Amino acid sequence: MNKFATVIMAAAAATLLVTGCSKSDSSKIKVGFSQVGAESDWRKASTESIKGEAEKRASIELTFSDAQQKQENQIKAIRNFISKGVDVISFSPVVATGFEDVLKEAKEAGIPVVLFDRAVDVSEDGLYVSFIGSDFVEEGRRAARWVLENVGENANVAELVGTVGSAPAIDRKKGFEEIIKDHPGIKIIKSQSGDFTRAKGKEVMESFLKSPEADQIQVLFAHNDDMALGAIQAIEEAGKKPGQDIKIVSIDGVKTMFEAILAGKANCTVECNPLIGAQLFDVVEKIHAGETVPARIPSQEGVFDSKNITQEVVDGRKY
Amino acid sequence: MKKFKFPMRYVPISATILVFFVVYLIGIISFENFGSPKVFLDLFVDNAYLGIAAIGTALVILTGGIDLSVGSIIAFTSILIAKMIASGSNALVAIALALAIGILFGMLQGWLIHCFSLPPFLVTLAGMFFIRGCGFIVSEESIGIKNDPVFNFIQNDLTIKLGKGMNLRFIVIVYIVVLIAAIFFSQRTRSGRSIYAIGDNELAATLMGIPVGRTKIMTYTIAGFCSALAGVVYAIYLKAGNPLNCVGLEMDAIAAVVIGGTLLTGGVGYVFGSLFGVLVLGLIQTLIVFDGRINSWWTRIIVGLLVLAFIFMQNLITKISKSKSKSQ
Amino acid sequence: MNKSSNKFRHLVWPLVSLALLLLFNAIFTDNFFKIEIKKQDSAQAVQAPSGTLESPQPGTSWITPEKYETVNGSAEAAANAAAEEAGAAAQTVQDSAGQQAVPEKKDGKGVSIFGYYLYGTPIDILNQGSKVMVLAIGMTLVIATGGIDISVGAVMAIAGAIAALLISMLDAGNCIGAGMGPSVYWIIPVLAALVLATLAGFWNGMLVAGFGIQPMVATLVLMVAGRGVAQLITDGQIITFDNPGLVFLCNGHALFLPFSVWIVVAMYVIFGLLTRKTAFGLFIESVGNNERASRYAGIEARRIKWLTYVICGFCAGVAGLLAASNIKCADSNNAGLYLELDAILATVIGGTSMAGGRFFLSGSLVGAILIQTLTTTMYMKNVSPAIVAVPKAMVVIIVCLLQSPVFRAKVLSIFASKAAKGGVQ
Repeated sequence: MNKFATVIMAAAAATLLVTGCSKSDSSKIKVGFSQVGAESDWRKASTESIKGEAEKRASIELTFSDAQQKQENQIKAIRNFISKGVDVISFSPVVATGFEDVLKEAKEAGIPVVLFDRAVDVSEDGLYVSFIGSDFVEEGRRAARWVLENVGENANVAELVGTVGSAPAIDRKKGFEEIIKDHPGIKIIKSQSGDFTRAKGKEVMESFLKSPEADQIQVLFAHNDDMALGAIQAIEEAGKKPGQDIKIVSIDGVKTMFEAILAGKANCTVECNPLIGAQLFDVVEKIHAGETVPARIPSQEGVFDSKNITQEVVDGRKY
Repeated sequence: MKKFKFPMRYVPISATILVFFVVYLIGIISFENFGSPKVFLDLFVDNAYLGIAAIGTALVILTGGIDLSVGSIIAFTSILIAKMIASGSNALVAIALALAIGILFGMLQGWLIHCFSLPPFLVTLAGMFFIRGCGFIVSEESIGIKNDPVFNFIQNDLTIKLGKGMNLRFIVIVYIVVLIAAIFFSQRTRSGRSIYAIGDNELAATLMGIPVGRTKIMTYTIAGFCSALAGVVYAIYLKAGNPLNCVGLEMDAIAAVVIGGTLLTGGVGYVFGSLFGVLVLGLIQTLIVFDGRINSWWTRIIVGLLVLAFIFMQNLITKISKSKSKSQ
Repeated sequence: MNKSSNKFRHLVWPLVSLALLLLFNAIFTDNFFKIEIKKQDSAQAVQAPSGTLESPQPGTSWITPEKYETVNGSAEAAANAAAEEAGAAAQTVQDSAGQQAVPEKKDGKGVSIFGYYLYGTPIDILNQGSKVMVLAIGMTLVIATGGIDISVGAVMAIAGAIAALLISMLDAGNCIGAGMGPSVYWIIPVLAALVLATLAGFWNGMLVAGFGIQPMVATLVLMVAGRGVAQLITDGQIITFDNPGLVFLCNGHALFLPFSVWIVVAMYVIFGLLTRKTAFGLFIESVGNNERASRYAGIEARRIKWLTYVICGFCAGVAGLLAASNIKCADSNNAGLYLELDAILATVIGGTSMAGGRFFLSGSLVGAILIQTLTTTMYMKNVSPAIVAVPKAMVVIIVCLLQSPVFRAKVLSIFASKAAKGGVQ
């Protein structure tokens, strides 16, 4: 019948997509990786680092899944990895909570789990083998320390918070506030969520700059570079000089931000290194070989400002 | 009984089942382990909340309405339960309260839609914004549910073990029970029949003396209950609440219902079909995860195409049955 | 249909709500109505002020105001703003000037005509609200035929994605037309985006009018799949650009106002004239009222419906370009996310009935401004944006109830049963 033709065509499309893959080589280490999404330049760099590194290594067979920023997708992906029978599961959690059951299931199936980039909140130990990645709280602390050292004891800060309720937003805020707690001269006078996006970062900064406190803002602390880049546009449109009239500190360290710092439009970015694909697969190989790995592996990260950013650093930046 | 007299009615739903098996077969051929019973079982475990939500959506769509507040209600109930448990109240009380709020909220939406003849799309859209905002008022952060006796009991004692790594979880049982109840309700009760009548022709239903207002409000109330129950199931599933979860889930539910053979103008379709709609969605996602190389965004595109295919099919069927009834 | 006494009736409630909101801000939000006039040195506007590199830097500015003076008559400014918001229709004359502005800035130097522009919260509301206003124009026409288009947000993402992709290819010299130079070739991505978006509208129209599929479902297809398509176009990346022409759309100024506002005005005038000065508007209303009757009356109901979806797609394309231009990049994940809902809300708040049959473009614009004012107010008041949804939902329901004839009748019947009948008729 005519109508079935459409249905079958859709099915055929699915077949086309799927054919060619399958029957895996048993000598390879099968790794299932679930990424949060593709919401920012940073995340994209992290994805590319993982995919690129997996291609380079002959010993690794990567199954990659994008959760499109939804936890429900991520849990499904992890369950499917277990059913598929991968050797190691790794994922970058969308949020901290809610992974306990699926992690237990992985443990029962005897599949080691490596967390990447973000930690999870579980009541039992031993649900994951290792956690590689940045410490969001520490990033917040570093940003605050930079403000203390370079702006001084007295500063009015406007804060662009990340997506409400997300782990980096909560932890970066926590770390920043932890440091400035002992310095009453540093005050957060404006704080609003910019959703980690440029558009919102710009829109919110525009409203900051029109508030009665606008002229008091000395420092902008953005939870990621994208929001800071949006805010820079807003500041320029307001006739102020970003980087001078308002010092800008943000977190992530993407190339565009480096360029902005080099151009004097921003001041500091605390690196949150997404290029930890190599580190990840080193750990995976060790686990597979039966070696023990540390439970917490920090990624190598720095703080960048006008003092240590040069054209070479920018050119060498991959993301 | 009428099966052989009016086969047209069963075409969409049989097509859905066919698609399900075709996709399943593709998976089994292409990937090892795809055919394992665990994959099949996980489909139910991972989509139980979506399935329950889709039941409510299916009933609302059968009346010719729409409910967009589904995902938000799930997020709200899950965060409410998690917050209440974290602040020391009994889990059962929390669940009861959450269900009650869902019912009341659904009733309110139904009342606004019926009594002021506001468009369902708008009322439930506002409801969606409202209840998600309320979720953020309850807590902006996600909250885990840890060491709660009720949740542990559900986890440990209400799970039927079927073998290594395979458990028939409580939430799956809940889904199946609700599904059977909903099928019975829609096919065998007077109120269920009224839903079909209203969806087919509201004016005619009114003239026939069917209590249109009451039935409509009741349907939205049931939908609110289903959403809240889906939220409870979601909280059990994740052992956590998060106000950010399930954004846009209503669209998945609607897609599942359409793929399940229900006509969006109302009056035609089966609640039972939503089961296969949900399973097809889940299966496509599983297939793409198993492959692991193609962009996950293809899930969205394939689902879009499937929805389109089913709409075309339904359109064709409607036209054919119309021309048949004319010629007779 | 609308006689002069009735003409502005539909605007009453949205305008009252807007006025109340503005009043709230006037009292409780300092500086809300402070509008400054800024001047900029147009000659240097695009050259990177840092002067470091010849290569254009993403994230650099194209607007460098040299000095600005403050106009402190805030009451006066408030009056101006209100006048602009309410009487956008009156500015047809300036509009043609706004159109003239396009060729002038092509060389990438003159960022602002006359070198002055207004700066303040009301201006921001207009600028940020421009996307929803443009969307609402198309949405109004679709809803007037009794349809709905929930794919506009995804279409915006597609339009932004294709524009950003093409401009990056042109910048790299990998595309036909690159020889024209950056000051001219930006028109290619703009046209491509508009064509693609119009095609998307054509597709929706084909499903709805051609195949007779319910509008909600027909557009659901593109809503579900569209964002995936945009992701595939950009390969999941956020593509940044800094072509002066493209960036000007939502960041440049002309005649004291952001250029995006003039785009809105232009579209309003075009579609306002199209629907009120030709029979097109009557046809739309007729189709929305009773499709079958209009067909019997000789109206090509299908074609009319189809056309409204095409227009809606075009509007979504314009909005997508504005969204991309605003942040100088295409973010397929977030561009236009949930804006379809805002556009529908704006339309309904503006008095257009979701059942179809009557429509008010001006009302939709007021609705869009109302929504954006609400959002901006929340930002100014430091209310968490997650909670913004709650008052937004309540405002929507209240305005809808006020617009609902049934509600009016019920309320009136409480006060006086006699008046009730008059109210409904």
